[in-house]
Amino acid sequence: MAKKEYDVLIVGSGHSGGMAASVLTKKGISCLMLNAGPEADYEKDRVTKAAHELPWRGFNKPGRLSHVYQANEFNANQWVDEKENPYTYDPAKPYNWVRVRLLGGRSLFWARQSFRLSDFEFKAAEIDGTGDNWPISHDDLAPYYSQVEGIFKVVGRKEGWPQFPDGNFIEPSYPPDSETIKKISELCKAREIGVSKMRSAQGQNGLASSINLLLPDAVATGKLDVVSNAIVREISVDKKTGRANGAHFVDRHSRREMHVKARVVVLAAGTLESTRLLLNSGIANSSGMLGHYLHDQIYGVSVVASVPEARDGKAKPGQMGGSVFIPRFRNLRKTEKRNFIKGYCMIIGSGGSASPNHFAAYGDELQTKLDSYAGSCVSGSIYGERVARYENHVRINKDVKDAWGIPVLHVDVKDSDNELNMAKDSADTMEELFKAAGWEILSKTDKFYPPGYSIHEVGTARMGDNPKTSVLNKWNQSHDIKNLFVVDGSGFVTCGWQNPTMTILSLSMRASEYLADEMKKGNV
Amino acid sequence: MKRRRFLSAFAAAPAVTSLLSEEAAAQQAAPPAAAAGRAGRGAGGQGNGGGRGGSSEVPKIPVVEADEAGATVARYFSATQYAALRKLAGMLAPPLKGNIGALDCDAVEFLDFLISASPADRQQLYKGGLDGLNAAARKQFGKGFGELNNAQADAILKPLVVPVAWVYDPPKDPLKHFIFEAHQDIRTATRNSLEATKALANSGRRGFGGVGLYWNPIDPV
Repeated sequence: MAKKEYDVLIVGSGHSGGMAASVLTKKGISCLMLNAGPEADYEKDRVTKAAHELPWRGFNKPGRLSHVYQANEFNANQWVDEKENPYTYDPAKPYNWVRVRLLGGRSLFWARQSFRLSDFEFKAAEIDGTGDNWPISHDDLAPYYSQVEGIFKVVGRKEGWPQFPDGNFIEPSYPPDSETIKKISELCKAREIGVSKMRSAQGQNGLASSINLLLPDAVATGKLDVVSNAIVREISVDKKTGRANGAHFVDRHSRREMHVKARVVVLAAGTLESTRLLLNSGIANSSGMLGHYLHDQIYGVSVVASVPEARDGKAKPGQMGGSVFIPRFRNLRKTEKRNFIKGYCMIIGSGGSASPNHFAAYGDELQTKLDSYAGSCVSGSIYGERVARYENHVRINKDVKDAWGIPVLHVDVKDSDNELNMAKDSADTMEELFKAAGWEILSKTDKFYPPGYSIHEVGTARMGDNPKTSVLNKWNQSHDIKNLFVVDGSGFVTCGWQNPTMTILSLSMRASEYLADEMKKGNV
Repeated sequence: MKRRRFLSAFAAAPAVTSLLSEEAAAQQAAPPAAAAGRAGRGAGGQGNGGGRGGSSEVPKIPVVEADEAGATVARYFSATQYAALRKLAGMLAPPLKGNIGALDCDAVEFLDFLISASPADRQQLYKGGLDGLNAAARKQFGKGFGELNNAQADAILKPLVVPVAWVYDPPKDPLKHFIFEAHQDIRTATRNSLEATKALANSGRRGFGGVGLYWNPIDPV
C-alpha cells in the first residue's frame, strides 16, 4: 500500500530529470524522483592516489568495463557495473553503452560542450531528401534554449550562421590566436569553411550537472522527494483508464519490491533505460516504433600533424597553442552532391605532442623523437552525425536479467556506408588542410569507435505528429498514454553532430512547462 | 543572489546532512546494547564496538604498500616466454635520461601477473607473440629471444615496430599487434611503478607521476 500519492513521478536524476523537477516543483507540483543508484559523497568517495597505489597499477581490472573506453582504474567506480547491469548484442555488431547511475547521472561527468540543434537537424528531411523532420523547429525551442543557456552559463562566440544557431551566450574573452590557428583559419576561409570557437557551459566551479544547477532549486521548494537506490522495474497502469498511475521499483540493496503512486509519470532515465522500462512495461508502443531509430555520433576519426619549425623546442612565442571549432560545413546546400548525407564538425587543437605509436621506433630512438616533436603538433578530430535508421533498434532480451531480475536490452545497431563515407571525407579534409599548411602528417585514421561510445545515444521513442510512426508527440508526451512523458534523448528524431545536452534540457523544460499547464487545466 | 546563497548552503550541506542522518538512523535502528555502547563514541564511530572510544582516540597505524615490502612473483609465462618478455621490456623501455627502465622496476613481473588475470584473447596475444619472438630468434640466431644480445634483438624487433594511427586499430599481423600492445603495456607498467614515481619525485623534475583522483567504490551492493 503506497503511503503517498505524488503529482508527478520522475524516473532519473540527470539533466532531463533535474530540469523536469526544477520546472514542476517551482509551479507547486509535488514530485517524487527515483534514482537507480546511490548518491556520491564528493568528500568521502574521492581521494588522490598514485597509480602504483591501485591494485592494477592504473591498468584497470582486466575485463572490467570492457565497453567503456572512457574508463580507467581511477574512475572505474563511477560507471555502471556491467556484470550487475548487462546488455546483449551480436558480437559482429558491438555497442558501447556507457552508463552512470549515481544521483545526477551522467550530468556529473558532462564535458559541457553546449550547442543548439539547427533547422538542418529539425528539418533534416527537407535538405537530406530522406528521413523525417522533427515535429518542431528551432524557433519552437529557441526560447527554452535561451533559458537553459542562462542557467548553465554558456560561453560562446556568436556567428550568425544558420547551421550553428547563436544563443543567450556569455561574451567570451579568448586569447589571441596562435600562428598555427590563424593558418588553419585562413585555409578554411579559402575553402568557404566557417571557423568558430567551442561553446561551453561554465556551470559552477567546473560542474554543470543537475545536482548543482537544477535539483537545489527543486529541493528548496519543499515539493521534491528524492529516493536513491530505487531501480524502477515497471510503470504501473490503471487497467480501467489505461493511464499510468505509478511505478514498481526494487531497492538496490535489499531487493525489496515497492510501489509508488503518481498522477503523472515522467521518464528521464536516459535514452536506453527509459525505453527499456517502457518495453518491459509493455506500454506506449501502439506504433511499433518503440526501440527503433537508435543513433548517436561517430567519434575517433583523427589526423595529427607536426609543425616542422616548432620542433626541437624552437617554437616561437605565439606560434603554437589554442584551438578552433568548425561547425558542420558539409551538405548545407541541396545542390551539394556527396556520397553521404548530413555532416560533421571538426575540432582542431595546436600545441600538443606526438604519441609513441606515431613512430616506428623504441628505446632511445623513440625518446629522441618524442622530445623533438614535443609541443609541435596540431591535431584534428570530429563529431559526425549517424543516420537514424529504423533497423537500428533495441529490444528486450528475456533470457538475460540484471542483478535485480529485470530483463535486459539487446542492442542491434550497425553503421552504414553513410557513416564510413563521412568519416573518410572528414579525415581527408583535415589531412588536406594540414598538408596545405606545410605540416608533416604523423597519423591519419578514418576509423571510429563503435556506436554508443559518444554517450550521445538518442532516439528509440522518437517524437512526431503521426501516432502511427512515432512514440511521442511534439511535447514529449506519449501518443498512447496522455499522462506519460519521456523527456530525455529518447524523443530525438535526428541527433545532428552536436552534443545533445542543451537540446535535451530545453526539450525537458518545454515539456515540463506544457505538462504543468495541462495539469492546471485538468487535461492531464 | 538569493539563488547563489542557497546554492552555497547546499554545497556545504551534504557532509553535515550525511552525518546527522547517519546518526539519526543509527539512533532509531540500533538495538539497546549497541546504543549503550555509542555513548562513548563520537560521530563516525564503528559498528558495535561499544566502549572503544571515539574515532579520534583510535590510533592510526601507518602501513606501507606491498610493493615497498615485497616483489611480485612471476608464475604465468613459461621460462622461455618470460625470458623473451624480459628481453623485450629491456629493449622497448630502457632507462633513459634518468628515468627508470622496465628492468629497474618490476614491470615484467607485474605484466606476468596482469596477463594471467586477463581475458583469453589477451593471454593468447601475449603467449603467441612471445612464442613468435622466440621462433624468429631461433630461426635467425639459433637461440631464444631472451638470450640475444641487443644488436640481435634489434634485428628482429625493428621490422615489427610500426606506426599505429589509432590505438583501437592495431596492426593486423599478430606479431606486430603483440609488439604494439606490449610496447604500450611495458611503458605503462614502468611509468606507473612505485620505483618510477619515487625516481621522479627524487629528481625534482616535473612529469607524469601517474597521480589522479580515485573514486572509491560508492555504496556497493
